Amino acid sequence: MSKKIRLLYMEGVSPLRSQTVYHAVGYAMKEGTPNTIIMVSPNGPYVSIGYHQDIQKEVDLDYCERHNLPVYRREVGGGAVFLDNGQLFTQWIFHKEDLPATLEERFKLYIDPLVATYQELGIPANHRPINDVHVNGKKIGGTGAAQMGIAEILVGSLMYTFDKKTMSQVLKVPSEKMRDKIFESLEAYMTTMSEQLGSTPDRAMVKDLYMKKVSEALGMEVYEGEWTAEEEAMAKEIDARFTSDEWLYQKGQLHQQGVKIHQDVHIVEAAFKAQGGLIRIIARLREGRIDDVTISGDFTLLPVFALGALEQSLRGVAATPENLKSKIEEAYYRLNIQSPGVTPTDFTTAIMNAVTPPQAA
Amino acid sequence: MATVRGCNIPEDRYYWVEKHAWALPMDDGAVKIGITDVAQNLAKGIVNATPKDAGRTVQKGKSAGTLESGKWVGPVTSPVTGEIVEVNEAMKAKPSLINTDPYGEGWFVKVKPTDWAGESASLLTGEAAVAAYQKFMEEQNISFE
Repeated sequence: MSKKIRLLYMEGVSPLRSQTVYHAVGYAMKEGTPNTIIMVSPNGPYVSIGYHQDIQKEVDLDYCERHNLPVYRREVGGGAVFLDNGQLFTQWIFHKEDLPATLEERFKLYIDPLVATYQELGIPANHRPINDVHVNGKKIGGTGAAQMGIAEILVGSLMYTFDKKTMSQVLKVPSEKMRDKIFESLEAYMTTMSEQLGSTPDRAMVKDLYMKKVSEALGMEVYEGEWTAEEEAMAKEIDARFTSDEWLYQKGQLHQQGVKIHQDVHIVEAAFKAQGGLIRIIARLREGRIDDVTISGDFTLLPVFALGALEQSLRGVAATPENLKSKIEEAYYRLNIQSPGVTPTDFTTAIMNAVTPPQAA
Repeated sequence: MATVRGCNIPEDRYYWVEKHAWALPMDDGAVKIGITDVAQNLAKGIVNATPKDAGRTVQKGKSAGTLESGKWVGPVTSPVTGEIVEVNEAMKAKPSLINTDPYGEGWFVKVKPTDWAGESASLLTGEAAVAAYQKFMEEQNISFE
């Protein structure tokens, strides 16, 4: 194959540029522009929000301001994420005709070299379709796709480290309990090279390894290139847009229930007013089952240890009303639970409100 | 309605096959535009749609707005030049209409075209459109059967 891929290696650019570079190469792409891969890392921390998110609903802006964390809206979908120098973003800006048409195949092509890089480092990574990379059920970086101008874009990262604590702090969540659950779930279901290997691998080595794996996967030569004056000009234009209030505060409509940790793991929450008091639920769902649930509220439930036992009994239960109700009723019988004005059906409804929120008409 | 490799291609629309865009002239001279069944199958579940506002001008080949699916964000390419005269508010409120009914309730915007006669000449309709889409899908190895 005669086509070559240009690599732009940009370690330590500003947080803003670490986002605007791939938009700039995308929007500046012309027919003769080479397919380009950018490997870029920011020199400081920031928050990136999805294209259609509403920043005021999704991000704890007070926290970000107190900690000098800038927030940038990207033109790629998905949710808010905390980013810093611990990730090396791998951004592909390709001509449409040089990528498969279907997203499944496109993500496979993109993810294969990431997986191969991790594997050569001794990390047993695998592609969890459609677009996750997992290591023994834990996610190691997310990916996304977009079209900008004539360019098709794929973005993702090689994760040296990930600051899970700060990630849980930057999200706007309904309660601190929910925040704790997010942190706990990130600890349980996200991993990094540093965690897997016990130390952070040499960055230059990882870069060379990834280039080699890309070249092997695509059957094309990858050469280190420069970016053009036109791309720089486009980046300046996009820098200005990304830092404007008009862009940042545009009202997005995308608000998804709960927080996605990875393809198979979500944290959801809901409240339900039963006759005997309010029931609050924070649940972690894994592949349609209750992985973990916290039940709280202002109802009375006796004996005192029964609430914890009830939570325990729901672990691993398929999140359907029938299964939940039957498990809860069993716990009521086994533990002789008394809960004036609150029934097993109420708990079931509260949990199901979290699992599948009642739809507005 | 023709079905090509698992996708509906109604013959009454005018298509820009490579851009997966369709146009349908209305009695009042406006043109409804949207994305094809092929496009919605490729994009998968649409979670957000942001058409440009009514009153804005769109150019043929440029974006009339943006779509976000669970896995992809991209523009809806306008197959005509003109002024947006109406946005499909029902679709905006429920973007999954694009998946369930891309040619009907999932239309994107209505445009008052500046030169429908001229621009539609480069779009394909009827059997020619179906044949062109079939060829394109074969070349691109796209099938939802």
